[in-house]
Amino acid sequence: MPALPSRAARRALLPLAASAVLLLAACSAATGDATGTTGTAASGTPVSGGTLVYASGDAEPDCLDPHVGGNYPQALIAGQYLESLVSIDDNGRIIPWLADSWEMAEDGLTWEFTLRDDVRFSDGTPLTAADVKATVEHVQDPATGSSTGYLALGKVAGVEAVSDTVARFTMTAPDSALLESLSQPWLAIESAAGIARGLDENCQAPIGTGPFAVDGWVKQDHVALVRNDNYSSPPADAAHEGPAYLEAIDWRFLPDSASRYAALQAGQVQVIDNAQPDTLAAAASAGTFTEIDAPRPGASNRLELNSGQAPFDDALVREAFIRAVDVNDGIDSLFFGTAERSYSALSSVEPLGYSDESLFGTDLKKANALLDEAGWSEKDANGIRVKDGQRLSLAFPVSTNQSIPAEQSLFEQVQATAAEAGFEVVITPLDLSSWYGALFTNDYDVVSAPYTKVGPDVLRILYHSDSITPAPSGYFANLAQLSDPELDSLLAQAASSLDADERQTLYTAAQKRILGSFTVLPLYDQQNHFLLSPTLHGARAIGTVSTPSFYDAWLSE
Amino acid sequence: MSELELRTVAVGARPRVATVRIGTVLAVAFALYLLLACLVPDAVAPQDPNQIAPRDAFSPPSPAHWFGTDESGRDVYSRVVFGTANSLLIGVAATASGLTLGLALAVLAAFGGRVFDFTVNRTIEVLFAFPGLLLALLVIVIAGPGPVTATLAVGLSTAPGYARILRGQLLAVRRSGYVEAARVLGHRPRRILGRHILPNALAPLLVLATLGIGQAIVWASALSFLGLGALPPTAEWGAMLSAGRPYLATAWWLTVFPGLMIVLTAVASTVLGRALTRVRAREGATQ
Amino acid sequence: MTPGSASRVAARVAGAVFVLWAVATITFFALRLIPGDPALAVLGGPGSQASPEALEQVRQQYGLDQPLAVQYAAMLGRLLSGDLGQSYALKVPVADLLGAQLPGTVLLALAALAVAWLLALALALVSTGAGRVAASLASSIELTSAALPHFWLATALIALFSTALGWFPPVSTGDLGGLVLPVLTLAVPLAGFLAAVMREGMLDALAQPFALSARARGESAIGVSLRHTIRHAAIPAVALSGWALGTLLSGAVVVETIFARPGLGRTLLQAVTARDVPVVTGVVLVVAVVYVLMTLLSDLVSALVDPRRQAVAA
Repeated sequence: MPALPSRAARRALLPLAASAVLLLAACSAATGDATGTTGTAASGTPVSGGTLVYASGDAEPDCLDPHVGGNYPQALIAGQYLESLVSIDDNGRIIPWLADSWEMAEDGLTWEFTLRDDVRFSDGTPLTAADVKATVEHVQDPATGSSTGYLALGKVAGVEAVSDTVARFTMTAPDSALLESLSQPWLAIESAAGIARGLDENCQAPIGTGPFAVDGWVKQDHVALVRNDNYSSPPADAAHEGPAYLEAIDWRFLPDSASRYAALQAGQVQVIDNAQPDTLAAAASAGTFTEIDAPRPGASNRLELNSGQAPFDDALVREAFIRAVDVNDGIDSLFFGTAERSYSALSSVEPLGYSDESLFGTDLKKANALLDEAGWSEKDANGIRVKDGQRLSLAFPVSTNQSIPAEQSLFEQVQATAAEAGFEVVITPLDLSSWYGALFTNDYDVVSAPYTKVGPDVLRILYHSDSITPAPSGYFANLAQLSDPELDSLLAQAASSLDADERQTLYTAAQKRILGSFTVLPLYDQQNHFLLSPTLHGARAIGTVSTPSFYDAWLSE
Repeated sequence: MSELELRTVAVGARPRVATVRIGTVLAVAFALYLLLACLVPDAVAPQDPNQIAPRDAFSPPSPAHWFGTDESGRDVYSRVVFGTANSLLIGVAATASGLTLGLALAVLAAFGGRVFDFTVNRTIEVLFAFPGLLLALLVIVIAGPGPVTATLAVGLSTAPGYARILRGQLLAVRRSGYVEAARVLGHRPRRILGRHILPNALAPLLVLATLGIGQAIVWASALSFLGLGALPPTAEWGAMLSAGRPYLATAWWLTVFPGLMIVLTAVASTVLGRALTRVRAREGATQ
Repeated sequence: MTPGSASRVAARVAGAVFVLWAVATITFFALRLIPGDPALAVLGGPGSQASPEALEQVRQQYGLDQPLAVQYAAMLGRLLSGDLGQSYALKVPVADLLGAQLPGTVLLALAALAVAWLLALALALVSTGAGRVAASLASSIELTSAALPHFWLATALIALFSTALGWFPPVSTGDLGGLVLPVLTLAVPLAGFLAAVMREGMLDALAQPFALSARARGESAIGVSLRHTIRHAAIPAVALSGWALGTLLSGAVVVETIFARPGLGRTLLQAVTARDVPVVTGVVLVVAVVYVLMTLLSDLVSALVDPRRQAVAA
């Protein structure tokens, strides 16, 4: 108990005293001590040993095998024990990983990957082409329930193990995104024997070639990862060879963001992910912790307007909504300068991204004019527009697992500014499963659904009319329900085009059509901030989907 | 065990220390303030509680914004004032439903004969085996989260405690001399019940309600905090606190002031409840 | 043991068994009222898009295709053998899950109960014995502590003792230091309630002839308090311990969530959000068992320390 003030503070003053304590402590938390340095310090000689405690604010996966479903929380942890055929370096170039080299046939319909011959899985068995074949078949088997990996392999007809070290991919059509797709953790190579154990067992501890291996999973608490002493397959851009320095990683789930930062400050954990904007601001002014800012590739964070049903089947109403809402001030204040407004459907890390600020200027007058033109000219007592007895009401299910508090507050501001034009936005916070449920039953008009994939091919997954049909997991990615034959053809051509310039022209044209349809309101990149304790060195985010790698990491005293 | 559970908050009524009366005065003043905030929030609050102003977000307390502004630039003091109605309504409604249910059980037990008395007593015992928030959480699993569910859930959780106290009261009055006298005088049972027993037995209801509202608000705010009650951006104290917690490192005022209101309200409700108990005791002594 | 007390003990035990049966029954039937298909909940809820075949298989696996009466009988049968069923969300036996969580939560609750007792005793002694200023201060503390919501207190304690002073960790992972803040969070409000009850008991005792005569013999007020009245303060507090432990177990929901401490409360909250019926049922039953046992125990202890009941208990 806090020490009590003596005579002066009596009776009714006590609650005030308690709050003053809170106040005082919170203030000192904000200022902190300004020792320590910033910057990714790999200073000093790496030391072997020690256990890294990682506190994740992401949802705890249902399954540790990212082939199943395929979401970002799975990718975060799977990057520690699974590896892919290829990786991507800091400059966005594809580099060798489990595959030493690869070759595409002239017609783009077959690819041959040559594997390294010295790689062993954490259970000691050697990596062969049969494991690559088993991985692709596992992802493509509807019983696995894959979504992200399944969609990325859409053009792969099959894989053949030509020899122990050569895997041949047969394609149904040329795929300019194949290497980018294969670099992702959702298509990481797992041991055929591990997969053969069955879904349930494989979910508990998938067997991969990564620097760490799953040692145990205490649900709702932590996953224990131990060093893989057989490790021999660092990607081409790693800083050292041989096994990892760290002996183990204690991967804890700490959903409360305030607790997560407090644990980092107290030295209980060495890394936190999903660091919140205000925390980042506080940490920056304290200067004690190192930040890794690694925006996710693929799509930007954006609101999608469901053009498949009224009222957003009317392009005028969609444009009116986008003109009515004002998010710039909110992004500035809620994100403390850690997020920059985006005007593109793609992440800022995608070289082929196309931005058009002019489409997204807030203009309440124009919004009102557009709504009048669309026939929503009456208003009810609450100022909500009405047409043929229908209120201009929009369902906005929000996934509390995927939208951070700042983003949820931003959505409240969207609600408030849209109301000025006469929209009623009904925000419903939902857990992940109910949120998916709302999407499947078409119970949404506005939705924010992050999607991570390497490369601009994410546009095909998000906006091609084929993606209105659900994947085996049940998820359909075209939440804007954009069905535009011309766009479909642009995206298909771009995905098959093996010419870089042509690819760029096609993707630009496609993005113009997407943004011009007013089904998308880009907000900012998918935020991905990590804070690292000053005792942790050599950690980095890898260039594929920006997940952290602790292979080169080590702990100082 | 008997009626100890709820009496825990009712004790402390002895007018031992004079300062308690100062406390009573302060509690009455605070209750009046809350009443005003409930009835005419516009008069008490300087601003629209839902008016966003992102450019003014996270302003610390100042003369313009006494309790600062929140993440969307809304005035926290105005939200606290407008939240009074929501939070008190949940507390009052939960207490009312708990008392009603408790009273129904108590009447059944006290006047329904031995079988009913036995059944009600067992029911109360069983309900006590769902302690604290447990019964409330069970109700929420069934009916889904939300302010109405949370209110009913808290009400149901408090019912067995009220039932036990009220049953004791009713029995004590039924056995008392003047009821006996009325019976001897040949009054009909219904008249005895209506004229003599209920008025005497129900007088403590007011005290119980006053004491209970504070705790009901604390419980309901805990449910809101867990995301199972009122949801942001509703101006409700628990929900405000929950929405402000992520910003603890930078904006302490989002957490401190709504929490302070909950604590002050609970303290005031206890002080008033105890004062009422004293008044009743004094009346009992002079009669 | 006299025949009378033996039969009384038997009656108490029978009562406890009845309460547990009733809790199991109420929980079983109440949770049937959840709208929606439980088989769908097993497969991940409305978002899972489960196939009819998969749903049918789950219904068979969990016996959901049986008539309600059969399911109820099967549930009671399983309970008798200590089987709490299988978690929908986590796909592990509930008994294993809760078995792993129970010790941590019970430790937390018992430690909080002990600390609350000590704090309450100190408050009660000061408010009945010491000078007027101290007494009114103590009763103000008592009043305020009882009104503190757990989540607010926890936040304040973390801000003060973890972030500002760095004395105790904000995340409670099992070592002793990690226990301090969660225990304080639970103990302080409870101490407010217990102190009020103890004070009442002490004032009763001080007004009694033996205390007056002790004072008349020249013993100091504090001496009288310590010697004669603690026992009287303890009686109602002991009687309340069953109730107190129950509220502590439910307070663990908030505290374990804030301190990210594994335990029954956090498990319950996650099960409530996921509508994981077997886990909710399991936690309710476990808490009921703990509550019933503690009530029995505190009745027994009350009988021992309460002079008015000693004759009966002997």
